[in-house]
Amino acid sequence: MTKIPEYKIEITNDGQVRVEVVGSQGQQCFELADLIRDIVGHEESRQKTAEYYSQDGSVHIQGMQHGRVRDQTDH
Amino acid sequence: MSAVCVLTPIVIGSWPMIATAVGGVAASLGFSVATGGHEVEQKKTGNTVETELADSEVITEGVSHGQSITIQRDDATVRIGRDERGRCTVCVTSDNLSKAEMKALGDEVSGRLIQQFTYHKLVTELKQRRFEVVEEHMTEDASIQMRIRFGGSSI
Repeated sequence: MTKIPEYKIEITNDGQVRVEVVGSQGQQCFELADLIRDIVGHEESRQKTAEYYSQDGSVHIQGMQHGRVRDQTDH
Repeated sequence: MSAVCVLTPIVIGSWPMIATAVGGVAASLGFSVATGGHEVEQKKTGNTVETELADSEVITEGVSHGQSITIQRDDATVRIGRDERGRCTVCVTSDNLSKAEMKALGDEVSGRLIQQFTYHKLVTELKQRRFEVVEEHMTEDASIQMRIRFGGSSI
């Protein structure tokens, strides 16, 4: 099922704006964030979240290894 | 979540956009807008504290120099205008408040002005791009929270 991306926007009482782009990944996510930035003004920070990297919105943990943790003294 | 951004607004707008935001400020802080469309003269006897919105520019198209809007409450009068450099100014006058209290009120009005300006600009421009506000409410600390979605099936 295709998710419809949406914004969650909070404008604080001193005018700061916090935007979450939900339901979108990769380039589209950044384009949606850019749209709000272009309307509002300066970007103070931007943080990618797990969903940004996902193809389907699910969270994947990569690089998991099976087996015992190798002891640093174990050569 | 996919991405989280924190933004600081730039207030650049025509006088009608500023006036709309001032109306929102007055309503949210218990002020009334001075009626009659005429600028209310500041009390000559009152103390005055003036601040300016740093990232602001009032576009002068159709605006006469010195144009302003005055809002009033029992304890203070606040004039929102434009200085000679085009920046938006907030001037608090009061017989009852201390300088520190007037400064705090000026900061509060300035913050709410930025908030209201940003709110109206965001909603207007996103609606033009076929987005729709699906949820909106004000929190206890007067922050505005919204959920906005594209009107079509996909963006």
